[in-house]
Amino acid sequence: MRGASAAAVLLVVAGCSGSGRSPVVVYSPHGKEMLSAFAHAYEERYPGEEVQWLDMGSQDVLDRIRTEKENPQADVWWGAPMTAFDQAEREGLLERYVPDWDSAVAVGEKSRHGYWEGTFLTPEVIVYNTARVPAADAPKDWDDLLAPAWKGKVIIRSPLASGTMRVILCAMILREIGRGGDEEAGLSWLRRLDRNTKSYAADPTQLYLAIAREEGVVTVWDLSDVMIQIQTNGYPFGYVVPASGTPLMTDGIALVKGTKHPEAARRFFEFVTSRESLLRQAREFARIPTRADIPAQDLPAWIAGLHLRPLPVDYDTLAANEKRWMSLWDERVRGRGHDEQGE
Amino acid sequence: MKRAGPLAAFTLLVFAFMMYVAFPLAMMAGESLKAGGVFSFHQYASLFDPANGANSEAILNSIFVAVLSVVFSGLLGLCLAFVVTQVEFPGKAVVARLAILPIALPPLVGVIAFRFVFGSSGLLPRILQGILHTANPVLALEGIPGVVIVHVYSFHVYTYLFCAAALRNIDGALIDAAAGLGSRGWRTFRKVILPELRPALLASAALTCMSSMASFTAPLLFAGEKRFLTLQIFQTKLNGDVNLAAAQSVLLTFVSLGLYAVMMSVGGTPQTARGGKGVARRGVLPVPPILRRLLVGGTFLLLLAELLPVAMIVLLSFVREGSWTTQLLPDRYATQNYLSLLGERKMLEPLLNSLLCAGIAVIGSILFGVSAAVLASRAQGRFWGKAANIILTLPYAVPGTVVAIALIVSFNIPRWWTGGMGLVGTFWILPFAYIMREYPVVVRSVTASLETMDGSLLDAADGLGASAWKRFRSVLLPAIAPAILSGAVLVAIASLGEFVSSIMLYTYASRPVSVEILAQLRQFNIGAASAYAVCLMLLILLILWIPSFLGRGGSGRENVTAMMDSSF
Repeated sequence: MRGASAAAVLLVVAGCSGSGRSPVVVYSPHGKEMLSAFAHAYEERYPGEEVQWLDMGSQDVLDRIRTEKENPQADVWWGAPMTAFDQAEREGLLERYVPDWDSAVAVGEKSRHGYWEGTFLTPEVIVYNTARVPAADAPKDWDDLLAPAWKGKVIIRSPLASGTMRVILCAMILREIGRGGDEEAGLSWLRRLDRNTKSYAADPTQLYLAIAREEGVVTVWDLSDVMIQIQTNGYPFGYVVPASGTPLMTDGIALVKGTKHPEAARRFFEFVTSRESLLRQAREFARIPTRADIPAQDLPAWIAGLHLRPLPVDYDTLAANEKRWMSLWDERVRGRGHDEQGE
Repeated sequence: MKRAGPLAAFTLLVFAFMMYVAFPLAMMAGESLKAGGVFSFHQYASLFDPANGANSEAILNSIFVAVLSVVFSGLLGLCLAFVVTQVEFPGKAVVARLAILPIALPPLVGVIAFRFVFGSSGLLPRILQGILHTANPVLALEGIPGVVIVHVYSFHVYTYLFCAAALRNIDGALIDAAAGLGSRGWRTFRKVILPELRPALLASAALTCMSSMASFTAPLLFAGEKRFLTLQIFQTKLNGDVNLAAAQSVLLTFVSLGLYAVMMSVGGTPQTARGGKGVARRGVLPVPPILRRLLVGGTFLLLLAELLPVAMIVLLSFVREGSWTTQLLPDRYATQNYLSLLGERKMLEPLLNSLLCAGIAVIGSILFGVSAAVLASRAQGRFWGKAANIILTLPYAVPGTVVAIALIVSFNIPRWWTGGMGLVGTFWILPFAYIMREYPVVVRSVTASLETMDGSLLDAADGLGASAWKRFRSVLLPAIAPAILSGAVLVAIASLGEFVSSIMLYTYASRPVSVEILAQLRQFNIGAASAYAVCLMLLILLILWIPSFLGRGGSGRENVTAMMDSSF
């Protein structure tokens, strides 16, 4: 009895800590700068609501939504490579929602059945520390990363939790297959990258810090996040769009199936993908919008000047093999670069 | 009629144990025997597949680190216990008190503090780099040595506490007798003192080994690309392969249970029966002066190394956000971190969540643990009592990662005994996990206190016609209250800083302090993360002192020792 009343007291205490505003729960890998800016803007527009965001890797989001399938906690999933959304769509984790502006996004950059919508184009690029590496010496293409000169100088974001890294690594396997090799050739390429890798960073912040603090001087990452670090933190980062092409990944947004706040979820979805928001995301957070109805002259100059050569990647093959390849990477590549012979 | 109460309680208890403790573990074992939805040994085959080295490497690394942790924690703990009990030196009381500090640190806080001081961007390696003018930080802790040193930092306290207690009980007459027979120094230590310490050493070794195998935070933050079994489980789950994660969990559980069995079988060994009469005199072994100075000097050095990370965390909690990147030490300070932590609801919430979860965990562990211990003590015959006790305390040996996996595979869908709701994704899953992990502590401490209780008191109450409830309330409860209190303190401490299962089970609404600390670090808010860590440490110290406030007397150290003794 005493226990029960104590529990009741505790619950009251917990209850008092609530704000009284209705929540919108957002799972997103977009980073605290962009998330807090848009949470703030949304709450100004809708004062009765509160955006509760959790910042995590996009594979973390997928795993979480899968685990919470029977009792969904998130309302909106904002941000992940389209392969992750495809996977979630196949597993029935998403709520169908087609916004008005759907026609402004090209087929192939959104769900075929209206379960998720493409928001940004995220080119994956080679990044280097400009204080330590002159632009002329920076790696120009993927294969340059394997050169002995970079041994012990590459830092990679721990790939299993990161949608971006999963796409890059799988694209490298597909690239080897495209060059007439097989899966093994792809794994061998990755092992040679592992041989040059000094360490795997636990999260993006650790990655930026490791490069900024010169623990390593080269990495591969998505262009938008690199631009934010240059613009907001002044980190000495330079980037190279790989000569043979970049896996030009579409990043998306979706509603979580069984969301507890469907209307707020749709409002948030619409709010962050409005033309106005996309422009702000382009200007302040270096995101390249997928919506074709945004005039190019309104976008920052660097986006207009970007010449991106897409790496031909068969996304269906990628999606079909991603999980298996990533376990193969974990089992047979990570930490095994020293077993690999030859250049 | 008279037995109806206990019988109902017994039925309820068995039901609760089966449904809330045994069921999740059985479900997990079930999942590990599936591949593509059908029965198969595929997961276990791939665990031990020689072509796929990842799992065997993880297993070997976990075992290797566990062995090193046991050896070095044992040596360090033993030396410390020896110095504190056998050597007189100024400041000894303070040393004895501070030596338990590492267990007051929640694992995540300890590991992070360690990284700030000894990690590759930490204070000491950078100072050395500055002095020696090298290109890279010097002696930065990383990889397996890093994990082992973090383990030694936290786990040597077990050996210290167990051995110090045993050393205090050594009869001076034994040492005198040895001296009389011409033995002294090393020989006496080896022939007289070590055998007395054997149970304490074995029990603490098993506990250290178990804790090391279950360790998740240290590998997560220090191991780099080295594989460990706990991390492997986490990553397998992340990759969406629940069946393989379950198989890895089952494997880890078996290793852990084996070690627990070792600990239980030696931990309960009674002390050597003594022929002496009256109160034994404390035995002190004469130590040569050089060794003495070496030991005392080493102790202070160790203490410094123990205090440095804590001091660093306190310092960093005052750092202005974003101001610490490449400098040796941050150069701008403010109280802003604490102000926003206490002033902004969003920042305060994780602390409140942890307090609430720990509160529920304490209540739940007491309700379940006390009734379990009391009912088990009524079992007919010694064998059944002991068996019931071992079964009831088994979950203690289940690593946090495994508890999380087991709860996820069992309670992600509604079950009628969880009130018809799926617990995964709700607030309740966290306190649930904490209770499952920690209630055995209450069972152990209450059982220990029941074993020393005078049974004739209950018989007398029975003879005087007291009802079962009255007997419990007026006779039993006062006798076991101190044990309940110590158990509750340990449950509260462990739950407040719990990280390992929390990280897999939390939601936004229930995010506990530990998870928030990691999130703040991920966002490079070192100041905020440290401020949370400091609050957590203060809360834990406060809770540790509760027993002395309530008049149980004794110092914090004595209370912890007593609690640890009664718990294991």
